[in-house]
Amino acid sequence: MWKTIVKKELLENILSYRFPLFGLIAMVLIPLGMYVSQLDYAKRVRDYDEQVRLAAESASSLSIQDVMAGTVSIKGFRRPAPLSVYTRGFEGTLPRYYEFTQEGIKPGESSSGEESILSVQGKVDFVFLVQMVLSLIALLFASDVIAGEKEAGTLRAMLSNRVPRDAILSGKVAGGYAALWAPFAGAFLVGLLLLVLRGFPVFGADTPAKILVVFLSSSVFLLAYFTLGTMISASSSKTRTALVAILLIWTFFQLIMPKLSDMVAALVYPVRTETQVSLEKSLLAGSLGMDTARERGRQYDLIFGSAPKGAADDEASPERKRWDAVKAGIEQSAKERKTQQLGAIDETYRQQKRRQQDLAVNLSLISPSAAFARLVADVCGTGELERTKYGEAVQAHARTLDGALFSKVKRTLMIHAGGGTSLGFSAESIDFKALPQFTIAPSSLADVFKANWKSLLSLLFWLVVPFAAAYVRFINYDVR
Amino acid sequence: MTDLQPILKADDLSKRYEDGILALDHLNLQVQPGEVYCLLGANGAGKTTTINLFLNFIPPTTGTCFINGIDVTKDPLEAKKYVAFVSENVMLYGNFTARQNLDFFAKLGGKTALAKNDYYQVMRRVSLQEKAFDQRVKNFSKGMRQKLGISIAIIKDAPAVLLDEPTAGLDPKAATEFLEIMAELKNEGKAILMSTHDIFRAKEIGDRVGIMKEGRLVMERTRQELQYEDLVKIYIDYMKSEPLSIS
Repeated sequence: MWKTIVKKELLENILSYRFPLFGLIAMVLIPLGMYVSQLDYAKRVRDYDEQVRLAAESASSLSIQDVMAGTVSIKGFRRPAPLSVYTRGFEGTLPRYYEFTQEGIKPGESSSGEESILSVQGKVDFVFLVQMVLSLIALLFASDVIAGEKEAGTLRAMLSNRVPRDAILSGKVAGGYAALWAPFAGAFLVGLLLLVLRGFPVFGADTPAKILVVFLSSSVFLLAYFTLGTMISASSSKTRTALVAILLIWTFFQLIMPKLSDMVAALVYPVRTETQVSLEKSLLAGSLGMDTARERGRQYDLIFGSAPKGAADDEASPERKRWDAVKAGIEQSAKERKTQQLGAIDETYRQQKRRQQDLAVNLSLISPSAAFARLVADVCGTGELERTKYGEAVQAHARTLDGALFSKVKRTLMIHAGGGTSLGFSAESIDFKALPQFTIAPSSLADVFKANWKSLLSLLFWLVVPFAAAYVRFINYDVR
Repeated sequence: MTDLQPILKADDLSKRYEDGILALDHLNLQVQPGEVYCLLGANGAGKTTTINLFLNFIPPTTGTCFINGIDVTKDPLEAKKYVAFVSENVMLYGNFTARQNLDFFAKLGGKTALAKNDYYQVMRRVSLQEKAFDQRVKNFSKGMRQKLGISIAIIKDAPAVLLDEPTAGLDPKAATEFLEIMAELKNEGKAILMSTHDIFRAKEIGDRVGIMKEGRLVMERTRQELQYEDLVKIYIDYMKSEPLSIS
C-alpha cells in the first residue's frame, strides 16, 4: 500500500510541469555553479603558488642585517580550500596571508577586495543554490502534498479505502521527496563529473568522503525543508494558503534569521575588531620595550657609573659579570611581562569573540539553513572551523618564527637616566633557507562533526519535528 | 429482504461539530444487500455528514456506524474493505490517464493483481469511450469522470456502495446510464446508500427513500409505499414545514 502511494506520488510529480522545470533548473545551475567555482579556485591556487614562490625567494635573500634593522616581514599564505568549489564560506573574507614581523602579526588583504558589490549577496556556488533556490523549490513541491489533495478532493477518495493515514503521509513525503531528490542528485553527479574532467583533485585524501558528506547534508537539508512544507500543507486547507505561509517561513529562515543572529550577538556582546586589538598589542609592546630600555639604562649606569674605565668591555671584570646577570634578569622579566600582558589581551579578545560567536551560532541554528551552511562550510574547509584553525596556525607560526628567526637577534636598547640612548646587538647565525613553512592543519571529518554537533542537531530537529507535527495534524484531520 | 444482515447500519448516530452545529441527530437506518437506499434532503440536512461518518472521515458524537457488522469507529480500516465510495465531483488525478487512476484506486482498494484488460473491461461496462481509456483525466467531462468514479467503485467489488449526490450536474443521458449501472450493482447484491437532491431518480431507483431535515430522518418510505404516494409533494411539504427544534 505504501509503495503504491510512493509510486503514485512520484508519477504525479513526474507528469506535472514542475518536474522537468526543476530538472532543468538543477541541471543547469548546479553544474554551472560548480564549473564557475572551479575556475575561480584554479585562479586562486595559481595566485597562491606564485605568491608563495615570491615569498620564499624574498625570505632566502634576507640577511642578518635585515633582522637587526627590524625590517623583516615573513608572509604566511593560506592555501585556498579545494572544496571551496562547493561553498566559498569565509574564503573571500579571510586574509590571504599574515605578515610576521618582530613587532607582531599583521593580517594581509582578503580576496573579497577584488569582488563586485553584487557578491555581497553571496556567490552562486553549490551551497547558495541549495540554500536559496532548491530550498524554496522543496517547499513549493511540498506545498500541495496534503493541501492539494484536500482541495482537489482526492484525499477523500484515498481515505475511503483501507489505507492507514500514516502510510498516506509517509508515502506522500517519500514519493514527493524522491521526485525532488532525483534531479538534484543527477545535477550533483553531473557537477562532480565536470570537476573530474577539469582536473579537480576529487580523489585526494579524504576529499571523496567530504564530498559525500556535502551531498548527504544537502539531501537531508532539502528533506528537512520538504517536511517543513508538508507540515504547512497538512495544516492548510488550500494550496494558496500553504504557499503564502511557505514564502513567509522561507523568508524568515533564509533571509532574516541568519543575519539577525549576528546582529543580535554583536549588540549583546560588542567586541573590538582584530585590527584594534593588534594596534593595542603593538602599543603595549612598544611601551614595554621602552620601560625595559629605561630599566636597562638605569642598571647600566648604576653598575658602570663608578667602575673603572674599560670595565664594560672587559668580560672578566666583576662589573661586567654583574651587568650580564642583571641584563639577563631584566630581559627575562621583560619577556615574561610581555608574554603575560599580550597574552591577556589575546585571551580577553578570544573570550569576548567566542561568547559573541557562540550566541550568534546558537541563535542562527534556529534556522535549518544556517545549520546546513555552517556544517557544509566546515566540511569544505571554508567555515568557522577553518577560521579558528587559521588563527591558531598563525599564532603557532609566530611562536616558531620567533624561536627560529626573531629571537636569534637581540637588540639591547638602553635609555640612560641622564639622557641619551645606546643600542647594542647580539646575533646567532640564521639559516634563512630553512625557515619554517606556514601550514594550517587540515580539519578531519571527525573535527567537523565534533565542531558541528549543534548544526547536526538542528538539522535533525527540522527533519523530525515538522514531520511529527504534520503527522499529528493529518491523523486528526476531519475530512469534510 | 429485512431478514438479511444489513451491510450498512447507522445506530442512533449523532454528530455535533466543534462550532456547535448539530449536523446529525440520532439517525437510525439500515441498508440490506441488494437494496438501494436514497437519502433526500436540502443542503445541510445531514446527508453528506452521514456518508462521512460511515467512511470514518469524522468521528461521531454519539452512536455507531456499522459496515458489514464492523464498528467503523473501532476498526475503520477493516470496515473500509467492505465499502466503495463515489462522490458528487469524482476526484481524480488530472495528469493520470483513466487507466492509471483506476489502477491506483484499485490497488488502494486491495486489488493488486489486475491486468490492463481488467481495467478496460470495467471501463467498457460503464460505457466510457475506448479512446478515453488512456487519455489524461484533466480533459474529461463531468459525465466521463463520474463513469470513471463508478468504475473505481465497481473494481473494488465491495458489498456496500456509498454515493454522495452522484447525479448532480449530469446530463439526462449520463444520469440514465448511471442509474442503469446502479441497477446492475443492486442486482449483484450490493447495498447502496445514495444521498441526492434528485427526487425523480430517487423514486425510480430507490428501494427505500428517506427524507432528512436538519439532521433528522423525518420520513422513510418503501418503493411499495411510494407507488401510492407523491414523493415530490411529500418532500416539498417537509421542506416547507416549520423548522425542527433542535437542541
